[in-house]
Amino acid sequence: MTVPSQEVEEPRRPRVDFDHYAHRSIGQSDRAWRELRERCPVAWTEANGGHWVVAGYGEVVEAFKDWETFSSARTDPRYSSLTIGRMPIAPLYPEELDPPAWYPLRRILSELLSPSAVERLSPRIEHWVTHYVDEVIERGTCEMAGEIAGTVPAAVTLELLGFPERDWARMARAFHGAGAFERGTPGFAEVVADLAWVSERVGEEVADRRRNPRSDGLSHIANHDVDGVPISSTDACAVVLLTVGGGVDTTTAVTAAALLHLGRHPDDRRRLVDDPSLLASATEEFLRMYPPARTHARTVARDTELGGCRMSKGDRVLLSEVSACHDGAVFPDGGRFVIDRFPNRHVAFGMGIHRCPGSHLARAQFKEMVRQVLARMPDYEIDEAGVVEYPNWSTIGGWARIPAAFTPGPRRG
Amino acid sequence: MRIRVDAGLCTGHAMCVQQGPDVFVLDELGYNTTESHDVAPEYEEQARRGAMACPEGAITVED
Repeated sequence: MTVPSQEVEEPRRPRVDFDHYAHRSIGQSDRAWRELRERCPVAWTEANGGHWVVAGYGEVVEAFKDWETFSSARTDPRYSSLTIGRMPIAPLYPEELDPPAWYPLRRILSELLSPSAVERLSPRIEHWVTHYVDEVIERGTCEMAGEIAGTVPAAVTLELLGFPERDWARMARAFHGAGAFERGTPGFAEVVADLAWVSERVGEEVADRRRNPRSDGLSHIANHDVDGVPISSTDACAVVLLTVGGGVDTTTAVTAAALLHLGRHPDDRRRLVDDPSLLASATEEFLRMYPPARTHARTVARDTELGGCRMSKGDRVLLSEVSACHDGAVFPDGGRFVIDRFPNRHVAFGMGIHRCPGSHLARAQFKEMVRQVLARMPDYEIDEAGVVEYPNWSTIGGWARIPAAFTPGPRRG
Repeated sequence: MRIRVDAGLCTGHAMCVQQGPDVFVLDELGYNTTESHDVAPEYEEQARRGAMACPEGAITVED
């Protein structure tokens, strides 16, 4: 008996009906990714103009690490290559660059956000967490997503860069809004205007620091050498924009998730209060369960095979951090929060060369926010009726509102 | 026990030092610069956990 050769040669292209932009809640998103992962770790969907979806841990990690095949570079100057949907935003460097151009710009951020630089920032982190908890502590109520999780990362990131305080709220709103509003709605139109304003402000401040360097992050970026010559103004703006965008809403999302989780699971909260040394492993587990960046896109730079599927140069690929993070093949009982899980090689910060350069700063802020909330409002209760999730869980998952009540306490600042 | 670090695989997650503060050394940017060496018995647990924590699989432990 002969096997038709074309059957053996036929490239695997399992088709699924899958549109991550249709995921309107965390529950729906988690469920959809689980179903897809259990069916096939890699598949093709016709949604959004047609693209691959990668759901298995091994396949997601393989693609993240292979930057030569799975490129992050822009293919259209108007839109980010990091999302499948067309997000109109100025370039974000070094994330939207491949080596060799990637390396010198990445180094600038690695210097600014290294573990030792973050260690030096810890008094400022403590200051801003104390400040924003002080703002609500006597009241006995607060909206945790906006008033704590939303304010601290914006203050820490934008102070580090050196943006004036009057810019902080609108910058935070621009990136928060990019996750919180549906494309095509009036809210999203406002987001597009806000993002354009952010780009404009970045341009103004970068120009200022190139003329009058100070000792802030903007000056560090705007006057850095790149391969022996001064960085261009365009590249400096792209690095600053990525730092702002990466800094202001992602740490917010995972902190909101953790405060909500601890409000809903008194057993986990009790364990963390009784044994604060669990905060390190708990932080990794919150990141794994609730990764703020749910997905990232890549473009196939050369024909390849991933998970048994043959991909062609130019194909767009959606890599799911959240699906990889929940993959039961790697994380036993992957859908459950296990406070002391170890090992925990989650991909919440990505993998490979584009690993989030702000990961050290994010962890430090997250830990201080959780620490102070548990210490200063230990009996907080979530007002479930008022909880509002982001309306779309395609790219950044998070919460628009988490109202809570607690026994009032004294200010510290 | 001997540990080896493949610096080419390290992308600076810095999870190893969380588990093995007395075993692993990072450069000023947070990348692993630990030389291959024999681990003293009292630090074997730190070395093992540091290797297990590395998301990139850059650390190898040989018993």
